[in-house]
Amino acid sequence: MLSTRVIPCLDVHNGRTVKGINFINLKDAGDPVEQAKKYSCLGADEICFLDISATNEKRKAMFNVISKTAELCFVPLTAGGGVNSLDDFRKLLNSGADKVSINSAAVYNPTLIRESSEKFGNQCVVLAIDAIENKIMPSGYEVTTHGGRKKTNIDVLRWAIKGVKNGAGEILLTSMNSDGTKKGYNLKLTKLISENVNVPVIASGGAGSPKDMVEVILKAGASAVLAASIFHYGVHSIFSVKKEMFKNGIKVRNHED
Amino acid sequence: MKLVIIDYGSGNLKSVENAFMYCVRTNNLKFSIEVTDNLNSISKADHIVLPGVGSFPDCKKGLQQIDGLIDLLTNEVINKGKKFLGICVGMQLMVDYSSEKKRTSGFGWLNGNFKKIKTSGLDYIGRNYKIPHMGWNNLQIKEKNHPVLENINENEQFYFVHSYALLTREINEIIAYTTYNQKIPSIIGKNNFLGVQFHPEKSGNSGQKFIYNWLSWVPES
Repeated sequence: MLSTRVIPCLDVHNGRTVKGINFINLKDAGDPVEQAKKYSCLGADEICFLDISATNEKRKAMFNVISKTAELCFVPLTAGGGVNSLDDFRKLLNSGADKVSINSAAVYNPTLIRESSEKFGNQCVVLAIDAIENKIMPSGYEVTTHGGRKKTNIDVLRWAIKGVKNGAGEILLTSMNSDGTKKGYNLKLTKLISENVNVPVIASGGAGSPKDMVEVILKAGASAVLAASIFHYGVHSIFSVKKEMFKNGIKVRNHED
Repeated sequence: MKLVIIDYGSGNLKSVENAFMYCVRTNNLKFSIEVTDNLNSISKADHIVLPGVGSFPDCKKGLQQIDGLIDLLTNEVINKGKKFLGICVGMQLMVDYSSEKKRTSGFGWLNGNFKKIKTSGLDYIGRNYKIPHMGWNNLQIKEKNHPVLENINENEQFYFVHSYALLTREINEIIAYTTYNQKIPSIIGKNNFLGVQFHPEKSGNSGQKFIYNWLSWVPES
């Protein structure tokens, strides 16, 4: 039986892990390679790196982070943030990433999903969708880009279905309304997408406790759960999340020490 | 001992190389590892690893683009009995054919073919089955005494990512199964050659144990 994945996400800025709320007041939080190693020892099923550097020049540090992590951590690595072209894809995969997530570029360059999945296989193309509530949209949610700052007038459900049709092998779904609130994932949004696409959906945005993870899996059908801050600040560990999941009848990997 | 990892344009070569290097280093094994598409190097190697991600037809095409490679592999593995490991699509290529995108023939070392995993029905907590079968899953071991499964129990998990699964009646060649809506052969093989549907290079400590076992395995001749 397949385990439900728990995925910690590291925000990387100029090759260093940073912590901050909504990308403001960023504080240096150490070496991402060391943290990835720690997470992988603690039972992370995958590790996600999100590059939030502002310029391409500074993004180069990310390749180094990925290649060093890939030498030591033998779990799947996803890299994203500022991926704009097939060349970005290739560089991240060659550095040792197993999957690449694309967000804004998929919106502004709609052929990128198709091209990248044809070139590298759909197993490595993760479509990241940042959704906000908007009642005018048919599904009630609108796609945003640039970390939620730009609206696109694209319906989230239609976008997800189209992305899968074009070759995305997985969807990383973030509720921008829930992100940072620690009040739980957006169940309605997650359920809507996971019931209507046939690829795995990773729930993201809003995790505050292990119970939130259990809820989004059991009530909204998430295939995997992603969180950043609750793991960074040491409030909850990957282990405590898995223990809670296991207690609620969800199959996990390494729920015991 | 010389191990070659075959480079035919498949995306995850670096991961495979990293994981095998790590295993060799941490266990002080006497292996040299080369990533290559050179036929001469492959024929001189003691062990061959064929990785593979992406689609079956693309991987087949990648192999065909290296003149003589497929014939050489069959000669080394089937005729000369060289130790071989196929990973994911590398494993899928060992059988007759796959129906992914269009019917494409494999090496035909084993009977069987690959069909899309069924998505009908709901899982144990009421979710739809998703494709790819992506994530960590355990093995139901059929050949309990196979050397590559030493110290590996049925609770241990390995990382899978695939949409097509093997259908076969040649039950003797299945070493372990994995369940995802259907019974999926996850380790297959015969004599000196093995194929794994999961990614040992991405399967943490369990993957390292498997790689160690495979490297240490001496097939009966």
